[in-house]
Amino acid sequence: MSFLQLIISELKAILADKTIVLTVFGGVLFYAILYPLPYLNQVPTEQQLVVVDHDHSSLSRQLIRHADASAKIAVIAKVGSIDEAKSWIESGRAHGLLVIPADFRRDLLLGRGVTLSYGGDASYFLIYSAVAEGLISVGLDAGKSVQRLGLLAQGHGAQAAELSLNVVKLNSIPAFNPSLGYTPYVVPGLFLLILHQTLLIGTSILGASQWKETGYWQQVSPLKLVCGRMAAFMCIYTLLTSFYVGYCYYWYEVSLQASFSTVALLLLPFLLSTTAAGIAFSCLFSRRDLPTQVLLLVSMPILFVSGFVWPTALIPDSVVAISQIFPAVPGIMAMLELNQMGASWQSIMPQWLQLWAMTAVYFVLAYWGVKTRLASD
Amino acid sequence: MLKRETAALLDDPWQLALISYIPLLGIIGLWLLFSAGLPRQLPVAVVDLDQSQISRALARQLQANPVTKPISYTDLSSAVDAMQQAEVYALLVFPHGFKRDLLTGKSPTIDIRYNSQFLLVGKLLSSQLQASMADGLKPLAALKQLAAGVPKAKVAVNLSPVSSQTTALFNRNNNYVGFLVPPVLIALLQLVAMMVFANSLNRELRWNTTAEWMSLGMWKGIAAKVLFYTPIVMLHGGFILALIYLYLDVPIAGSLTLLLVAQLLMLLAVWLVVLLIFFALKDSARVISFCTAMFAPAFAFMGVTFPTHEMPALAQWWREIMPSSHYIETHIAVVSYGQGWLATLPQFASYWGFLLLLIPISVLTKKGFNAVDKCNIPLAPKEH
Repeated sequence: MSFLQLIISELKAILADKTIVLTVFGGVLFYAILYPLPYLNQVPTEQQLVVVDHDHSSLSRQLIRHADASAKIAVIAKVGSIDEAKSWIESGRAHGLLVIPADFRRDLLLGRGVTLSYGGDASYFLIYSAVAEGLISVGLDAGKSVQRLGLLAQGHGAQAAELSLNVVKLNSIPAFNPSLGYTPYVVPGLFLLILHQTLLIGTSILGASQWKETGYWQQVSPLKLVCGRMAAFMCIYTLLTSFYVGYCYYWYEVSLQASFSTVALLLLPFLLSTTAAGIAFSCLFSRRDLPTQVLLLVSMPILFVSGFVWPTALIPDSVVAISQIFPAVPGIMAMLELNQMGASWQSIMPQWLQLWAMTAVYFVLAYWGVKTRLASD
Repeated sequence: MLKRETAALLDDPWQLALISYIPLLGIIGLWLLFSAGLPRQLPVAVVDLDQSQISRALARQLQANPVTKPISYTDLSSAVDAMQQAEVYALLVFPHGFKRDLLTGKSPTIDIRYNSQFLLVGKLLSSQLQASMADGLKPLAALKQLAAGVPKAKVAVNLSPVSSQTTALFNRNNNYVGFLVPPVLIALLQLVAMMVFANSLNRELRWNTTAEWMSLGMWKGIAAKVLFYTPIVMLHGGFILALIYLYLDVPIAGSLTLLLVAQLLMLLAVWLVVLLIFFALKDSARVISFCTAMFAPAFAFMGVTFPTHEMPALAQWWREIMPSSHYIETHIAVVSYGQGWLATLPQFASYWGFLLLLIPISVLTKKGFNAVDKCNIPLAPKEH
């Protein structure tokens, strides 16, 4: 059997197995739509807010109108007391409250300080931060306009008043993901993880269903079989990865900064090491339904440990060290640095070399595992 | 029948692992991941091109903030490199001539860049850095007011006539253990429950024992499995609640018993979904693959990280199919708002849609019997 024939029979075996086709092609295509689905609206806007207005003055009404004008907040009701506001929040009708104290306007005009209270439902962090950001900017604005009025009344020039209000300008701008959108944040890492998991599952199921049977895999040497299998899966996954990284990243408005050649160069050892790991892993199983279960259980931990959801610095070192055995962990980080954050090729060298080292280690393991499996028959 | 299930369980090492140490490892591993709870000491690059007393005082302000850990860089390009390699999560630049501009009444600009590719960290740092800077600049503004002859009592009011008090309701200190760990673990529990039940059903196919299993009638066979596995998986659900709310002492306003009842309903809904898939496909690996495809993204659809009412309609429909998203609503209502039994009943009623699954299941089981018997012979050699 020549090497080319081997690759062809591998491809045939993969395509003939409905479960593998379902996982590899079905899974990859289905998840490309399903996973980013909840996040398509990108940023939470117009969070429902109830207002407790104890002042009922022109200024408090103006403040409420300003709050309603903020893109992050929608004022849905005025209620009489804080208790009532609480019941609105508990029943899920509102997510935040604003309390304007009595004598708000009078105190301000008399030059006494007043305190506005904001509350947001922190059971949902994204809602809370939207409510808090919206209300704080409204409060700051109200304060500034009162200050400006005061300064103008004292006879300051308009320009000087402006200057003394903004002593220092804070120019705070998001880098890398300028829209603060949710899909550009989730998609790059998550999609690499989907490729990683389906590739591992595909290779494992193929292996697990073959060990106890007879077929073309016994007619070739273990080394040739491992190489042939890697080549076959690389053919399929080059296509699927091109679809994800080339098309889906673009479709979901992920920021892209690297060139085609550097991304390809990074993905090469990522896919190779994952395929080799999958073949090595497949030698542990002889039941076809087990690999999926094991890999499903580890996928959530891999996602959280890869460092873009929760900062790596806060994860216990031992957990981080264990996670390094998965090609996805260095792969996702290197991809984010290279493609989303625009780092230079040199700076991802450590991860790139780690992926090559993993390829070598898993290749040896795969060879050894396949050899043992084939010999035991 | 229950004895038969016990024997089957003891015979299958993977199933045994799945109901004993694997979920425990998963629960403890995921908790360890987030055990820091509050983000602290996040590295921030500070490029001080001014090197004045004021810029240094502001940099010290960052040192005093528990969330940020300033790291000095002498030039901008090395700080940008560090930012691109995710060594620091934000970048702060004091421009040249910062102090001079302040003293001469021009308003200088402090540049802040935060890494929004890591959305959670970036947003947190953005607000913390702005708060630190605003605080650090207050004494300067106060000095200016005093120099202009404003009485000391009026200075504070002049600086910020409207002060604000922001309260994080229900999760007072923005603890991530209370926020993220319960839904993550519930998603894990749902996966384990799905696998345990699917394995138990698949086992009948693998050993070609469907006839024996169904000997007492279809529904009794299913009931035996439900009765056997529900308490076992509930134990893990109880362990999750005990870990978070008893051992870690995360505040909970409502009652734990109510949550256990809610978990029970969630499990029953999961069983129904698995049964439907099992009777529709009747192939062990395919059943697992299909269930996996359905339940794996459950976490994204729970609506904890990204709010439910912001999801597109299609996502909200898909969300309704996931038992975990029904549960998590009850969970948050009980934990945060202290919702009682009476208010929870309508939420329990929202599971009614899953009962509809009984219709296709019973149709498929009636049809399924013959099909199983027929196709078992060719399937059998392939499957073990």
